[in-house]
Amino acid sequence: MYRQMVRIRTFEDNANQLYLSAKMPGLTHMYSGEEAVAVGICEALTDDDRITSTHRGHGHCVAKGAEFKAMFCELLGKAEGYCRGKGGSMHIADQSHGNLGANAIVGGSMGIATGSALRAKLLGHDDVTVCFFGDGATAQGLWYEVMNMAALWKLPVIYACENNGYSEYTKTEEIAAGSITARAEAFGIEAHKVDGQDVLAVNELTQKLVARARKGEGPFFIELETYRYHGHHVGDINRAYYRSKDEEKDWKDNRDPIVRFRGWLVSEGIASEEEIEAMNAEIETDASEAVAYAEKAAYPPAHEVDMHVYAD
Amino acid sequence: MREITLSQAVNEAIAEEMRRDPTVFLMGEDVAEAGTPFKVLSGLVEEFGTERVIDTPISEPGFVGLAVGAAMTGARPVVDLMFGDFLYLVMDQLCNQAAKQHYMSGGKLTVPMVLRTNLGATRRSAAQHSQSLQALVAHIPGLKIAMPSSAYEAKGLMKTAIRDNNPVVIFEDKLMYQDKAPVPEEEYLIPFGEAHIKREGSDITLIATSSMVQVAGKAAEMLAAEGIEAEVIDPRTIVPLDEKTLLDSVRKTSRAIVIDEGHQSYGVTAEIASRLNEKAFYHLDAPVLRMGAMDVPVPFSPALEDLTVPTPESVVENARRLCAGELIHAA
Amino acid sequence: MPHDVTMPQLGMAQDAGRIVAWLKAPGEAVAKGDALFEVETDKATMEVEAQTGGYLTGISANEGDDVPVGAVIARISETAEDEAGTPAAASAPEPEPEPEPEAGAALPEGKAVTMPQLGMAQDSGLLVGWLKTPGEAADDLLFEVETDKSTMEVPAGLDGYLAATLAEAGEEVPVGQAVAVISAEKPEAPLSRSAKNAGARPAQGAVPEPAAASAPKTKDPAPEKARAPQAAPPGGRILASPKARRLALEQGLDLGRLAEAGHPQPFHVADLEALRALPDPAAAPATSASASSRRLTATVASDGLPGFVAWAAEAHGLKDADAILAGFAGASLNPGGAATVAIERPGARRAFTVPPGRALSAVAETGDAPALVLRDLRGTALSGVEMGAEEAPVLTLTHAGGGLTITLECAASGLDAAGAIRLLTDFAGRMEQPLRHLL
Repeated sequence: MYRQMVRIRTFEDNANQLYLSAKMPGLTHMYSGEEAVAVGICEALTDDDRITSTHRGHGHCVAKGAEFKAMFCELLGKAEGYCRGKGGSMHIADQSHGNLGANAIVGGSMGIATGSALRAKLLGHDDVTVCFFGDGATAQGLWYEVMNMAALWKLPVIYACENNGYSEYTKTEEIAAGSITARAEAFGIEAHKVDGQDVLAVNELTQKLVARARKGEGPFFIELETYRYHGHHVGDINRAYYRSKDEEKDWKDNRDPIVRFRGWLVSEGIASEEEIEAMNAEIETDASEAVAYAEKAAYPPAHEVDMHVYAD
Repeated sequence: MREITLSQAVNEAIAEEMRRDPTVFLMGEDVAEAGTPFKVLSGLVEEFGTERVIDTPISEPGFVGLAVGAAMTGARPVVDLMFGDFLYLVMDQLCNQAAKQHYMSGGKLTVPMVLRTNLGATRRSAAQHSQSLQALVAHIPGLKIAMPSSAYEAKGLMKTAIRDNNPVVIFEDKLMYQDKAPVPEEEYLIPFGEAHIKREGSDITLIATSSMVQVAGKAAEMLAAEGIEAEVIDPRTIVPLDEKTLLDSVRKTSRAIVIDEGHQSYGVTAEIASRLNEKAFYHLDAPVLRMGAMDVPVPFSPALEDLTVPTPESVVENARRLCAGELIHAA
Repeated sequence: MPHDVTMPQLGMAQDAGRIVAWLKAPGEAVAKGDALFEVETDKATMEVEAQTGGYLTGISANEGDDVPVGAVIARISETAEDEAGTPAAASAPEPEPEPEPEAGAALPEGKAVTMPQLGMAQDSGLLVGWLKTPGEAADDLLFEVETDKSTMEVPAGLDGYLAATLAEAGEEVPVGQAVAVISAEKPEAPLSRSAKNAGARPAQGAVPEPAAASAPKTKDPAPEKARAPQAAPPGGRILASPKARRLALEQGLDLGRLAEAGHPQPFHVADLEALRALPDPAAAPATSASASSRRLTATVASDGLPGFVAWAAEAHGLKDADAILAGFAGASLNPGGAATVAIERPGARRAFTVPPGRALSAVAETGDAPALVLRDLRGTALSGVEMGAEEAPVLTLTHAGGGLTITLECAASGLDAAGAIRLLTDFAGRMEQPLRHLL
């Protein structure tokens, strides 16, 4: 789990650099700071289990088993990306590991996740679908429609709300009335709240809920309290007007999920500082090589522009 | 050959496909016991159970979204959208999600779903239950659009739609459900992208969709009495569109009128007319005319509503004038 | 390996940033995460962190500089000394640059050979094929051209080597446009081009060309093949359906006549029937010819030729009266040059080459096509002619009382006004007083 968290953090640092050095087309949204959420949850899932992701989706993608090379290629729009360069950061999907895709529409994948769970029940499969979304998406009507149906039909779906305190540039409390967990409970859905920076707690809870969902006891809802270190998107650099530097510093210094878990691993004797350092270095190299590879990789050829509009 | 209603034809198509493929299922408002308010789906829940014939809450975006997700992960949903007017509600799930998943994933994800809905005015259902919105969705790359004009088309196109691996929107004319037509007992499918010539002629081509095919057919009979032989063509699917058949006909007749129940402006007729213009320009002895519903929200009063849609008489009038060399909307 | 420090992208619309201050000195040690420099954006001043540890070297931008996003402004190296060489410019990975469209190769030096004027009404010729390949000596015949009458072989007209062909077999080339370049020396890099790239002139000594540089017409609508140009309708636009226009063009029908006849517009296919039913425009070759041909008459009081012929036969043994006549005509047509003149009488024609100079003895019969025809109708009852222009200018002799009427007729393009006047004047003078010819 530690490895995965570091991989996410490293990936995001590199992606951010690609943006800052003007090598990456378009924008992307950094997951740094929220690693424990994606990793804690995805480590409790198998490749058959599905997830749907958000515009802030690199973390979920890595956590569900994606490779750096294909991810960087996709961010740069190269042919070897997970979507042949056609989706980009906001639509990155990885079928082989059950990632149904990031979605640029806020809340856009809630229907898809619930539909995946419907299919599982209908066809007698025992996979579970996790729907990631942010606190901002709780304002989307679609969530209430799909929660209603999920609860009515007892679908194997887990709604995971990554509450990082901000909906784009506005504090969550200014856009979400009442309690978020109460919304799920209103439909009779069992709701939990957990510290999103504690990867062990997240993982433990998820494992329990996934097991129950597989048995048909779903749906479930988890609200995870977390924090994103970067701005809403990579260009959101001057953000003191909506978020204080002190607050950012506090979360980084005192509540960083990676630092925290590292401390725990060392104190439990599971890994030594040297081993951890070595792992970090290895991941850095892995990432740099992947970036270099992606930078040199070819763009999709022009004739692919009108391929894949329709399936055969 | 036996004759069955359009409603029965749709029912048969769906039932046959559900028997053939266990991943096909039905969802929508009142589809189970009620068989929808139009009673098209009656009997299906008895055969396939509530697991596969699912009544949904009144959450159009929600259940269309569910259909997208189910389709992306291995099922083949047929979603019933009670009125075509509700398309506006489901646009994000249909046009941002379903239509684009295959492309955005570089070909890795498919969305084999069918959205069954209707069109057509003159039912006294007023502005929000009478719209024909095929143009709205035909504009979006990634969707296929079928418009059956009779029971025969309805069955064949529905079966093809269910077996197609793309999101397909099928529009049935809500006033035609009780109309009968000869439908074979043996299985048949109607491929997409193949227009059908309903009547041959050499003086003018009438291209019509859905119930407008009946309107064009009647107009053709009336024109024949005046010595004008009209060729009536039903494109059957507007995406993909069988341009070749349309162009071959126009080359033969040198005149065309395109008739569709969407609004006159910015619609299906405009697209087809434009293609004929581009590709058969030097064969045109008259401008290609569009005939659609008037550019007004559908009025409730019968005295007004019936004025807003193309009729056989208005088609005959236009055809006659075009054949006489008149410019109908002279500039 | 030194790490490039670049000006970061700081806002979505930003493409440059101003360096406010360096926070580390050249050669100073930096750790990953240390603030390196301050950048001013349109909103605020920001600190930029080092992405790796090392020593700050190779600073190439100073406080106060505006630096484009992505440009390298320093490096973080393993040692405090500047690594050798200038920092590599950070460049965004670019897609494969489009291959440059092929620039036209420069033409070899030499003289141009142009598409000849092959007929009076011709304004372009179809290059059927090349008889020499680029690089070969350009002796003898160079290429074949198809006119509306036949296929002709065209010589280079110059000595040298075929250095470049500027049109391909099968291309239509306007008259006067260069089709080849002949160089004095054997060319090192002979080239072949299509007439569509016409526009470049050979480097040296081009024969002056009329301004026909446009490529042959390629814009006809796809299915159409007929090219018959339509006479412009009098007074403005004709309204007709696309199909009516196309059929009219294909069938050589002139919609303008239908418009002139007052037929109501717009025209449809059915109206072409009416057009076909219109009477033929009155055949008036003379009237149309008169706009583009010349007719001059001269009268001389006495026909001096018979006397002269008698004297010439006796005094110089020149027995062929026709040759003398041809000699007079040829000398009048082309004083100082050669000419081929045909003498025509009802039922017979003889052509003679008239060499430069006035020696009538050197006039000899030939089979060549004449540049001037002399129609001798003195022995007939005809007293005047108006025949219209023919292929070559025609001098017709008819008796007029005791003297002669000499009528000169030619196409306007055959002789200009001054030339026609001079020809007739000189010839008439000779016919009246033949001895003048010897002066």
